Amino acid sequence: MLAQQLLNGLVVSGVYALFSLGFTLVFGIQRILNLAHGAIFMTGAMVAYYTVSAGGPLWLGFVLAILASGILSVIVELVCFRRLRKTGDEEFGGIISSIGAGLVITTIAQQVSSTQILRFPFETFPVVIYRFWGLRVSMLQLFMAGAAIVLVLVLGYFIYRTSFGRRVRAVTDNEHASMLMGINPNMIYAQTYFVAGALAGAAGVLVGLAFNSISFVMGEPYLMFAFAIIILGGLGSIPGALLASLVFGMVQTLTIAYLPSGLTDTIIFAALFLILLVRPNGILGKDDAGSLRGRR
Amino acid sequence: MSGFIAGYIPLLDLYLIHLGLAFSQYIVLRAGVFSLATAALAGIGAYTAGIFAVKLGMHPVLGVLAGTVMGMAAAIVLSIPLARLRGVYQAIATVAFIQIFVSLNIYAEPITGGALGLNGIPKTVGTGILAIAAIAATYVIWAVERGRLGRAFNAIRQDEAVAASLGISIVRHQMLAFALSGALAGLFGALEAYHAYALDPNQFGFHLLITVLSYVILGGRNSVIGPVVGTAILIILPELARFLAEYRMVIYGAMLIIVINYMPKGIADTVRDAVRAGRLKRRGEDPA
Amino acid sequence: MTMLKLRNLSKRFGGVVASEDVNMDVPGGKITGLIGPNGAGKTTIVNMITGMMPVTGGTIHVGDTDITHAPAHEICRAGLARTFQNIRLLSEASVLDNVMIGLHRHERSSTMAALFGLPAAARETAEMTERALALLAEFGLTRFADYPAGGLSYGHQRKVEMARAMAAEPDFILLDEPIAGMNDVESDALADIFRGFAAAGKGVLLIEHNVRFVARMCSHIYVLDGGRLISEGTPDHVLNDPVVITAYLGGGDDA
Repeated sequence: MLAQQLLNGLVVSGVYALFSLGFTLVFGIQRILNLAHGAIFMTGAMVAYYTVSAGGPLWLGFVLAILASGILSVIVELVCFRRLRKTGDEEFGGIISSIGAGLVITTIAQQVSSTQILRFPFETFPVVIYRFWGLRVSMLQLFMAGAAIVLVLVLGYFIYRTSFGRRVRAVTDNEHASMLMGINPNMIYAQTYFVAGALAGAAGVLVGLAFNSISFVMGEPYLMFAFAIIILGGLGSIPGALLASLVFGMVQTLTIAYLPSGLTDTIIFAALFLILLVRPNGILGKDDAGSLRGRR
Repeated sequence: MSGFIAGYIPLLDLYLIHLGLAFSQYIVLRAGVFSLATAALAGIGAYTAGIFAVKLGMHPVLGVLAGTVMGMAAAIVLSIPLARLRGVYQAIATVAFIQIFVSLNIYAEPITGGALGLNGIPKTVGTGILAIAAIAATYVIWAVERGRLGRAFNAIRQDEAVAASLGISIVRHQMLAFALSGALAGLFGALEAYHAYALDPNQFGFHLLITVLSYVILGGRNSVIGPVVGTAILIILPELARFLAEYRMVIYGAMLIIVINYMPKGIADTVRDAVRAGRLKRRGEDPA
Repeated sequence: MTMLKLRNLSKRFGGVVASEDVNMDVPGGKITGLIGPNGAGKTTIVNMITGMMPVTGGTIHVGDTDITHAPAHEICRAGLARTFQNIRLLSEASVLDNVMIGLHRHERSSTMAALFGLPAAARETAEMTERALALLAEFGLTRFADYPAGGLSYGHQRKVEMARAMAAEPDFILLDEPIAGMNDVESDALADIFRGFAAAGKGVLLIEHNVRFVARMCSHIYVLDGGRLISEGTPDHVLNDPVVITAYLGGGDDA
């Protein structure tokens, strides 16, 4: 059933793309690795769950999840990174600070959910299976793939076709020069973090629906996988992250299907390690993994 | 009275073990390597010692020795690829290393006990041995700091180009810092194994990484007092505020954010620098 | 006579030539100048000599030692020290500690002694402290020994950097725009120090933007433009060379 596995892998890839794009977008613009990104993803899933369990429709849960994750992401930027960027210690400090933010968010979620695994009520998403050419695909899978494609296209449109995108890319290239051109980088950062958080939140809802299992620790493995994805794609590269998500989703699905269970993570992270050695800048990344450091 | 003290013995033991791990994290940061591998290196030491005891029935002294050597060997091997990477990439590579350790550990069930862990390790290490090890570790870190290695580490951490221009080999010194970090992690991991009866792979995962990193960030990463103070505060604080027990990790998290933003040198180093500045001020000369 | 020798030194970035066929001799006991307008390729030469940038072609020798492809830290051990264009001190460390780092080349205690704080290591630290203090006295910096280096005035920071480079006891010292941003009094004080280096037998390579200063200091000057040497000789000869004047006036082809 290789074709079936590839189809499943494709759906998984979409979720990874949503998660990793925000992660890599933030790194690209600020050289900051936001380790609270997994917690923001989890928040999306939780908000959708509580909306639905309070009687709201799923679409409302989806919208609220995207808004809440986006806003949370902006708050993380304000609280954790803004001051560090001024002192120039964002590379080391940013990692510490965002680990802190991740801890705060997940612990609060743990208390709110009483350390329980939460499940959407039955048929929150209609269970419909389509069959064609001997393949099975559920309506949920179609929805996931569709949502991922639409959101990625929207992001691509914004980054490459609008003035917002031009400003983001200007700030990414050179914060100082873009300030001279009258761009307010803080505004751009806030918007970028909102988009990054919103994408992660959407991914959180999709994962919550797909596995019908939402818990406060659900972000951690995705954060780890995102490491592998953005390294493979090249830190900060959007097309790289997309391509790497696809590769990663496929490889993961196939290793789970065809190799002894339990070895999957080992293989993935050993591969990540190897990529770092052989091509630390990824498939499409810029050259900055090696070289002598300046003051730190 | 003795009952009162006895009640705090487990806390003291935890402090002594974690102090050793904090030094392991401290020394790599000190040498300018952004490695987060201490948790996995401690796991390697602990499992080596545990397997020596449970599967091979060896004497604990041999187990501790083997754990230390294994931790150090793993660190040296790891330092070779890390030397080619910088900053964030080192952090990611070492986090991947931890993931590999945990997942391989779970997979290698016949040897490691898998997800159920390794059980029935005879308890042979008490507070006395832990205290001796912790004091020895503190002494070594202090000695390193005062000598040529400490000076070279300082130069590398602050400006690699300057260090190299003065003849300091960055690769050699960082490998040495790594070896020391691995030996410390291996040693205290092994002691943990003989102290705790049982080991569980997830105990050496992301959570331990954060805990140990917090000690060093809070206390300070440029003097031997830093980890001593940081570890003490973070172990005692939750005991003083038991009503906050459920929110313990919120306290850790908030503290990481506040300290790195507002007191980036950590408590001990900030106090030390303030004392020094005060002393210079009293001498009443203006350097500028 | 020991000599810092550059032979046919070249650097290309892809197809772009940053320097080509540069031949230079920096003898001991003298101050040799390297000048050139902005973008002439001075920094590229500095980076190649100091091992910060791989060499594309040609060789660099310090005395008999070939350092063409040596990593940065071995170049210091071969006897070449340097200062940086924008002063680079360890700003939070004390002035004394900054100079002590310069003594690294002379530290010989074993790793075991350093790890376990054996008497050998303690003796070494005491000895190095003494040597560093002696150097600070030489540079008139004794009273700043305990201050964080970053808090010193610009001129004093430059002196600390000189003391640090001298601590390595090099045969040659490369000074990368040492008087940039200094007033005349400060640069005169440094000029005396540089002459002192040469008088002590060290070869000094002075890379400067300020032509007047170089002319006053050097016995032999090389002029770089567009990555190539366009003139060399005594200050008089070089400053009156029409090729040099054209290069500095920025005339280019149509001047």
